[in-house]
Amino acid sequence: MQYPEPIAKLIDSYMHLPGIGEKTATRLAFYTINLPQADVDQFAAALQAVKRNLKYCSICGNVTEDDPCQICRDQSRDQSKVIVVEDSKDVMSLERMNEYHGLYHVLHGVLSPMEGKGPDDLNITALVKRLQTHPTITEVIVATNATPEGEATAMYLSRLLKPAGIKITRLAHGLAVGSDIEYADEMTLYKAIEGRQEI
Amino acid sequence: MYLKKLKLKDFRNYSQVELNFSPATNILIGENAQGKTNLLESIYVLAMARSQRTNNDHELMRMGKNSAIIQGSLANRLGTTKLEIDLNLKGKKAKVNQLEQAKLSQYIGKMNIILFAPEDLSLVKGSPIVRRKFIDMEFGQIDSHYLYDLSQYKIILRQRNRYLKQLQQKKVNDLLLLDVLSDQLAAFGAELIVKRTKFLKDLSKFANQLQLEITHQREKLALEYLSKITLPAANDSPEQLYQVLKKQYTTHRDKEIFQGNTLYGPHRDDFKFIVNEQNVQLYGSQGQQRTAALAVKLAEVNLMKNRIGEYPILLLDDVLSELDGKRQTNLLRAFQQKVQIFLTTPSLNDITRQLIKDPKVFRIQQGKVVVEQENQGGKQG
Repeated sequence: MQYPEPIAKLIDSYMHLPGIGEKTATRLAFYTINLPQADVDQFAAALQAVKRNLKYCSICGNVTEDDPCQICRDQSRDQSKVIVVEDSKDVMSLERMNEYHGLYHVLHGVLSPMEGKGPDDLNITALVKRLQTHPTITEVIVATNATPEGEATAMYLSRLLKPAGIKITRLAHGLAVGSDIEYADEMTLYKAIEGRQEI
Repeated sequence: MYLKKLKLKDFRNYSQVELNFSPATNILIGENAQGKTNLLESIYVLAMARSQRTNNDHELMRMGKNSAIIQGSLANRLGTTKLEIDLNLKGKKAKVNQLEQAKLSQYIGKMNIILFAPEDLSLVKGSPIVRRKFIDMEFGQIDSHYLYDLSQYKIILRQRNRYLKQLQQKKVNDLLLLDVLSDQLAAFGAELIVKRTKFLKDLSKFANQLQLEITHQREKLALEYLSKITLPAANDSPEQLYQVLKKQYTTHRDKEIFQGNTLYGPHRDDFKFIVNEQNVQLYGSQGQQRTAALAVKLAEVNLMKNRIGEYPILLLDDVLSELDGKRQTNLLRAFQQKVQIFLTTPSLNDITRQLIKDPKVFRIQQGKVVVEQENQGGKQG
C-alpha cells in the first residue's frame, strides 16, 4: 500500500533537507499531521518568508531582510577592517564574540576545483569592487577554515589584493582556549609552536 | 619480545592446536597446502588484529565454523602478557590479559611483528607505486607529521589535477588559482621529499649492515631517492626545495595544462636500490634483488628496535628457498640470538639445519602439528 498523496509529498519535501533520510522524513511527516493547525500555518509561513523576504546583501553578501544589511548600514562600526568568511553562519559566530566591530564579506564557499568552484563562483568580484570604491578599508582579515581549500582561498585572496597595497591577515592556528596540551593532537601543537608569540 | 605459547581454535585448517615456541628460531616444515602459512597468519592476526592475506574474517574461520579464537602468551621486558583475538561473524574482540579492549587501535602495537612474504620481493622488481606505498606506510607509522603532510598533499594534488583538466578543456582561464595550488602543493611536497630522503638514509644504513652480513661483506647496498626534478645536492631544507618545486611548476606550466595532470612532485618519485654501485633493479640477478628486498624489509627490525627498545618478532614465509645456502645461513645468523624467528619451508637441507642454532622444528601435516626436534633449552618457554 502507498501512503496517501499529501503525506507522500510531505515526506518527499522533508527528504530535500540535508541529513534527513526516508525514515526520519516519514517520522516528521506523521508528527506534522498531529500538530495543531496554528503551528502548521506558522511553520509554512516561516518557510515561505525565508525565501520571499530574505536576500543577499549587495555589498557584503550576507543574508539579510533589507539591502544593504544591518552591518553594512551601521556607520558606527569600524570601516577600516573587513573579515572575509566562507558563509553567513560564520558571520554569526564572529558576531557572538562581541569583540569585533568591523565589517564582513561572505564568499559563499571556498575555492575547490573538485566541486567545480572557481574564483568566478565565489563572491570575490564584489569584494574587489568594494575595496576599490571604499578606500577606507585598509585591512582584510581572511577567516576561511583551516582546510586545504580554505588555505588556498586565503592565499588566492592575498595574491589578488596585496598588489593594491591592502594589508591581508589570516586567523591564527593553534591551541583551543581552555584546552589541555596533554590532549592536543600533534599537528595542532606543531601549528601552535609555529605561531608562538613573544610575551 | 617473543611468543611463548599459541593456542588456536577453528582457525583456517586448524581445529584445535596448542604450541610452545622457542624464544630463538622456530621452523615450520611441511609439504605444500598443509597449513604452514596459516600458522604464520594466525601469529600475524594475533599481533595486528587483521590478516595480511584477506579482509574477510570469515575466511579465517575453519570451514563450516562461525568463529575462531587465537590466544597467545607474549613475553616482553615487562613480563608476560596474554593476548587473545576472538573472531565471529559479527566482528572481532581483542583482549589483553582477558580484558576486552574497547578499540582495536589500543590493542595493535602490544605485539610487534615483521612479516616477510614472497610478495615482498616486488619491492625491488615491482612498479614505483609499490615502493612509494612502502615508504608511506613504514614512515607513516613512525612519524605522524609525515602522515598529515601526506594527506594534505593528496587533497591538494586532486584539486590541482582537476583544475589543470579544467584549464586544458578551456572551462576556466584564471592562472592565479593555478599558481596558488602549485605553491600549496610545492610546500607540502617539499616537506615530504625532505622527510623521505632522511628516512631512506636511516633505512639505508640498517639495510646496508644487513646486506653486508647476508652476502658475507661482498655486497654493499644503498638506497637513493629518485625524482623527476633535479633536487639540490643536500636536500635537507624544505624552504630551498619549495623554491625548486615552485620553479618547476612555473617552467612547465603549459606542459602540465596540455596534459591536464600534475607531472612533478613526490607522488611521481621513486627510490632505487644500488648494490655495489649498480642499480640492482636493472642489473641485479634474481638472487641479488631478493637479498636487497629482504635487507630493506628486515632493516625495519632494527628501526623498530630503535623506536620501541625491543626487537619485534620476525615471520619469514618461504623466504629461505629463494636464497642460496650461504645467504640463508648469513641471514639467520644476523638475527638469531636476538630475535624470535618463525620460518616456513617445504624442506630443510642438512647444512642449514646444522647452521641454525638450536631450532625447534615443527612438522605440519593437514592441520596437525608435531614437534620434530626440541630445542635444547626447550623447557624455558
